[in-house]
Amino acid sequence: MIVAVAYKWAGDAQDAVVRTDGTVDFTRAKAVVSDYDAVAIAVGRKAADALGAELVGICVGGPDAATPMATKSALSRGLDRVVVSAEPGLGGSGPTRTALALADLVKGLGDVAVVFAGDSSIDLGAKMVPAVLGGALGWPTLTDVAGIEVVGAQTRVVRTLGAGVQELKVALPAVLAVATDAAALKAPGMKDVMAAARKPVAKIEVTELGPEGDIVTTAPLDGPARRGIKIDCSDPVSAANQLIESLRADGVLTPAGGRR
Amino acid sequence: MDFQLTDEQTMIRDAVRQFAEAEVAPMAAEIDREHRTPLEIIPRLAEQGLLGMFVPAEYGGAALDQLSYIIAVEELARVCATTSVMVEAHNSLAVWPILAYGTDAQKEALLPAMAAGEAMGAFGLTEPGAGTDVAAMTSTARPVDDGYILNGQKVFITGGGYAKTFVVFAKTTSEGPAHRQISAFIVDRDTAGFSVGEGERKMGIRASSTPPLMFSDVYLPKDALLGREGQGFEIAMKTLDGGRIGIAAQGLGIAQGAFEASVDYANQRVQFGRPIGSLQAIQWILADMSTDIEAGRLLTDRAAWLEGNGEPHAKAAAQAKLFCGQLASRVAGQAIQVHGGNGYTEAYPVERAYRDAKITEIYEGTNEVQRLVIAKQVLTERRVGA
Repeated sequence: MIVAVAYKWAGDAQDAVVRTDGTVDFTRAKAVVSDYDAVAIAVGRKAADALGAELVGICVGGPDAATPMATKSALSRGLDRVVVSAEPGLGGSGPTRTALALADLVKGLGDVAVVFAGDSSIDLGAKMVPAVLGGALGWPTLTDVAGIEVVGAQTRVVRTLGAGVQELKVALPAVLAVATDAAALKAPGMKDVMAAARKPVAKIEVTELGPEGDIVTTAPLDGPARRGIKIDCSDPVSAANQLIESLRADGVLTPAGGRR
Repeated sequence: MDFQLTDEQTMIRDAVRQFAEAEVAPMAAEIDREHRTPLEIIPRLAEQGLLGMFVPAEYGGAALDQLSYIIAVEELARVCATTSVMVEAHNSLAVWPILAYGTDAQKEALLPAMAAGEAMGAFGLTEPGAGTDVAAMTSTARPVDDGYILNGQKVFITGGGYAKTFVVFAKTTSEGPAHRQISAFIVDRDTAGFSVGEGERKMGIRASSTPPLMFSDVYLPKDALLGREGQGFEIAMKTLDGGRIGIAAQGLGIAQGAFEASVDYANQRVQFGRPIGSLQAIQWILADMSTDIEAGRLLTDRAAWLEGNGEPHAKAAAQAKLFCGQLASRVAGQAIQVHGGNGYTEAYPVERAYRDAKITEIYEGTNEVQRLVIAKQVLTERRVGA
């Protein structure tokens, strides 16, 4: 049995630059395993251990996604092995093409019980890949997954939604997009780093690229104009009170015991 | 020449930086202020593999190369000098000599627990009257039928407050040259007659535990001997050769952290209507800091590379430690200058860096000792070459 985790070798959000128009520039960002996907790997590891399954990372992207640095970085996060399709035509591709290429990888793996994915890619943020992937595979697909619990033959999935926590019985196989806070993000340990070099990596050639729906740009929604409120910080207590009053006036804070 | 880190070394740098920023940096100012050793970080250091960096995988270690090790020490020192010296002293001064000179039985008995953080290590060499002059030590380990009786006192022992496994040096004979009189022993904290005193309150690395050790008729079995009788001076010096590279990395990390804080401050602090980083007076300081750090890193990396490749490295290690200890103090001082009055307060990390930096010019061999080591080597090399 295999638990798969789809991950993206993407620009590090910490290196991203917010332009003056609010759009985000990743062109100078160093590539890493996306933070959201690292959370998916952590949740996938727990699930694979509970199911007694092998944890396989699947990745599609440009040629840099198959570099030793890229695959070892992913493997150091706890994957047992990696299968990657790295083609120029997949570099920077949109969610549809990416998801269809991932579906091909999943079909090639065989006995897959679950495919985990991050909440979204950290650079594009389209939140579409899990849904398109699930559709392509014909599997149930859930988002905002906080974790899964395996009790006997039954699998329960916990989702964190705005209205509360939802628990569902799910028939496997399924595609599960994990919430961004589903697991604490931990740095790989030294042993994980050294072991990564010894784990298997398979490179799969893609024979046919799926249709593309490119994201041209992502700009923030227009928010209220900044009012340029300045608080005199020479007296810290007075400054804190001014900040509280200002936030209350904007309805961000309510008096103690009150509800928004 | 290849100045490129391997994939693994790059990943180790990234992983240790991520860990250090997430779990070490947030406590650094507090433990310094309170002079409190952060014992709670030990299990996390072990989990990250930072306590068995040289230890082979069969003993539960990460089996890293020397360069990876110093990269890790530098990254820890960048945010917290105390945590870096906890890791450095354990790996360089306690794990390494056991690995290099221990019997298979000693390695099997000790290394797994040391790599797992269940038994931290410490190095008992310095005495009240024998600091730089190691051979002047007065601790004795008198041979008896089935072992040794250890008596004496050690001071400034990094990790002494919490270590379980001590590598301790004492004279087993008064015959022959002074440096051949010394032997090394592995001493467990719970051994009868062994006690640990109160730690010193220090100027820097305040959270690092450095208490005195007292040995009063401590019985040690024969298998507590590390290496051969009379080999202790050699073990101490070889251990310190490697340890010096770790301290060089610590100095580099302190300097790197102070430098980064200075660049951030220079970009944010506005005077005369513009960031102070746009003023040439500040730019020159930053340029000097950056150049110092890069030079120190090249010396340190080369020393680690030589050690990792089994090449003679005593001179390179001494040069790296001498240069990086001095640059740590110099760069931390410049960082305070960039910060102006703010840098002189505890509100900014460069104040702590300035206090932490000084020790890297002193422990594991003072600047003056490094110069002696370097001078001895260059004079010998010249003689051989001529």
